[in-house]
Amino acid sequence: MKVYIYKGFERFWHWTQVTLIVMLALTGFEIHGFYELFGYREAVMIHDRTAWGFLALIIFAIFWHFTTGEWRQYIPTIKLVKEQAQYYITGIFKGAEHPTNKLVYNKFNPLQRLIYLGLKILVIPVMVLSGFAYMYLIYPNETFVLGSLGPVAAVHTLGAFFLIVFIIAHVYLTTTGHKPLSSIQAMITGWEEMSEQEAKEMVKSEMEYSLKVAKYNLITNKDRSAFLDEALMETEAKLGVKCNNKLHDVISNSGAGYFRIGMDGTYQEVNESWVSLYKYESIDEIIGKNYSLSRSKDSFAQLQETFNKVLKGETVEHGLVIRHCKDGSIGYHTLTMTPFTKDNKIVGVEGIIINIDRDNATKLQWDNENNK
Amino acid sequence: MKRLLYILSIVIIPQFIVYMVITRTDNQCVINKEGPTELKVENYTRKADRINIMVADHSKFEILQQEFERPQDVTLACLSCHTERHHELMANNHWTWERSEKLAGRDSIVSLGKKNIINNFCIGINGSEKTCVRCHIGYGWGDKEFDFTKKENIDCLVCHDQSGLYKKGKGVSGMPVEGLNYNIISQSVGSPKRENCGICHYWGGGGNNVKHGDLDKAMNSCSKDVDVHMAIEGEDMSCIACHTTENHVIKGKLYALSSEDKNRATCEQCHTDKPHNDKVLNNHGDRIACQTCHIPEYAKANSTKMVWDWSTAGRLNDDGSQIHESDADGNHNYLSIKGTFVYNDHVKPEYMWFNGLADHVLITDSITSIPIQMNTLMGSYDDKGENCESTSCSKIWPVKVHRGKQPWDPILRKLVQPKLWSKNKGDSAYWVDFDWSNSITAGMKYTDLPYSGEYDFVETEMYWPLNHQVSTAAKALQCTDCHTSSEDGRLAELKGFYLPGRDHYDFIEYIGILLVLLTAAGVIIHGGIRIVLRKNCLHSKEE
Repeated sequence: MKVYIYKGFERFWHWTQVTLIVMLALTGFEIHGFYELFGYREAVMIHDRTAWGFLALIIFAIFWHFTTGEWRQYIPTIKLVKEQAQYYITGIFKGAEHPTNKLVYNKFNPLQRLIYLGLKILVIPVMVLSGFAYMYLIYPNETFVLGSLGPVAAVHTLGAFFLIVFIIAHVYLTTTGHKPLSSIQAMITGWEEMSEQEAKEMVKSEMEYSLKVAKYNLITNKDRSAFLDEALMETEAKLGVKCNNKLHDVISNSGAGYFRIGMDGTYQEVNESWVSLYKYESIDEIIGKNYSLSRSKDSFAQLQETFNKVLKGETVEHGLVIRHCKDGSIGYHTLTMTPFTKDNKIVGVEGIIINIDRDNATKLQWDNENNK
Repeated sequence: MKRLLYILSIVIIPQFIVYMVITRTDNQCVINKEGPTELKVENYTRKADRINIMVADHSKFEILQQEFERPQDVTLACLSCHTERHHELMANNHWTWERSEKLAGRDSIVSLGKKNIINNFCIGINGSEKTCVRCHIGYGWGDKEFDFTKKENIDCLVCHDQSGLYKKGKGVSGMPVEGLNYNIISQSVGSPKRENCGICHYWGGGGNNVKHGDLDKAMNSCSKDVDVHMAIEGEDMSCIACHTTENHVIKGKLYALSSEDKNRATCEQCHTDKPHNDKVLNNHGDRIACQTCHIPEYAKANSTKMVWDWSTAGRLNDDGSQIHESDADGNHNYLSIKGTFVYNDHVKPEYMWFNGLADHVLITDSITSIPIQMNTLMGSYDDKGENCESTSCSKIWPVKVHRGKQPWDPILRKLVQPKLWSKNKGDSAYWVDFDWSNSITAGMKYTDLPYSGEYDFVETEMYWPLNHQVSTAAKALQCTDCHTSSEDGRLAELKGFYLPGRDHYDFIEYIGILLVLLTAAGVIIHGGIRIVLRKNCLHSKEE
């Protein structure tokens, strides 16, 4: 089973970086005097220009990491570090499962996190800074002049060796995926081949993550009604899965409540989250009942109206609603309803509800009224 | 298909971008190797634009048509029109043979020049003036009594003669040879040409190209292979094109004699301090003199003297006649009067840090270190100058080092001045009598300096920063002439600073290579085990 892991920019960034670093290494070690390849003068010019190119790419990459929130991928963790190391030392030989799953919001294992973070905040900055010093701080008519090029060159050379070591290990470790080439393939196509188990876990946790993001946005963003849609779209985009048709699979165990109502207005399917949000004991208790029981009498008319709209093919993001639980208490959730189709015919509606606790609901209500 | 293209483009586009970045511009250098394109210069009139108009026809002046009895009369005739010029000449060190110099590293200012300096060629003029002053622009300087204020003793003709007939005599205190036609000579006068300057500046030290190594009679008419500026088929520049002269004040001095960094003739005066289109090359100019790359070798046409060992002098044939021995190229390698020589041509310069200031060993100085540095060139990598935009920032310079072995006083630990020349035997002159003790005693007595009576020979070095015989750009040094760890690297001997491509830190090299090897070994072992185990697994499954 294949899952979409690396986005377009990410892959572009990766392969550009590959080329730049290879060129920097080839020319750099020629300048260092290890061999003759481009010719010294040419090597110096290529090294300089490649370095500028690399710097530009770094700026783009930093921007991308922060605007997409991808920087979170590099937050170091010591959780499972030992297990991951253990896996590489022994487990991999016995055909053991990876101790950590490759997840979209957590696509690096703990060791990768540490190493990549080290590269990003230590090796690369040191190389860039020492590179600048190498280029600019050695001429006496500059404002600030280094006493000697020696230490700068030493640091720059050592950094280069570290990068070579990284490249060797990095390329080798790409072969430790599901299949030997699946990681490299993923970095080219974006799609990584995974075991069924891994993929399922991924969908689940990705949905949870998207919902969390949606919920977070719900509290902070002004445009709240589209939050679930966003979550769905994000999940779709990240995983390359069309969520509409498989909504049920996607939502199961995600914490969001799922329901499907037939043309006759009776519940055909709900998930366990829905059941627990409405405080029923089991799914059987609700299947076949009319959806009117989910609202107080006052707000049912509104739901009916929405229901009819959806049957005509619209997708409705309802925003905040108040639900009527089995025991008579009320709860708050957001609601999104989409038509449920079979053979291109609308045969009902399905939707997702996301619980909102009382405080947030109050705040939301208050905000809504103020915005009006 | 579309999807495949999109996917591939993500891998391929970066290669294009990187390729574009790397090859952004390629015409980095004004002069490419195929041939010189237009070179930017300023303060210079190109050959094609030069106008040669004779402003005065000296053959029409009656005063130059008189019958001259003495060369001094020619001088007086010159000065009758060019009045007051003698003041300019008498202030010129071509006349005074000394000038006030502040020696680097010393507080006092000394009067230093050919009059009193000691070198490691013919040592010094004192006691031998009658022959040495053949290169003085004067008449009659035979001993300490010469009157430097007498204007008729100025020799205008040696510099201004354009007939090619004028010639100074040997051992006659700077007087011309007999039988010259002063009418033709004086009527020919004009701005000094290479031949005028060269008669002394090529022939200093007793032979062509002996001293400088980069000033050779061949440069009167040479190709670009010898000197790109003076080449006949090129710009055909004269000496004074760079050594510009106003009121007989001539730009440029040599560190064989001078010490201070002033009144220099420089490359930058025409080429600017940013002559290349390549920033990296221009930046090199901050720490490297132009000459270093652009004079990759000297003595390109004729050999120059590299070693002069006075200690072997005095060997004579059995019949008492002097010995003249030459090497395979026809250069002297032994003369009874001077000792042993080593000549060389197409010499690679030695390289030194130099900030434009020099010290000189005076005859009165006590010697502290051997070999004696006759004219220490100051500078080091760490000397970046107080004001780096001036020339006081040390740069790497190409230098001809002339190594000598010459007499000194080992008791007083001072260099000595032997009397070398005399017309007559028994006058204590070494070149006639071959007796060091007598000649040194006479020379030291002449200069009023103490002498212990003991002499020995001491090793000396003299430094000649190179400026001439500039090569074409195509023959200039290339990056890897210096940026190499090879022992033949031009800067292999110039230690004490980090030069990329030449220098490494061993421990970083060891750590780096060790890490790379360990990683590679780890990968091979780890991967190997995986492959072996996987095969085993497959086997067991099949069974």
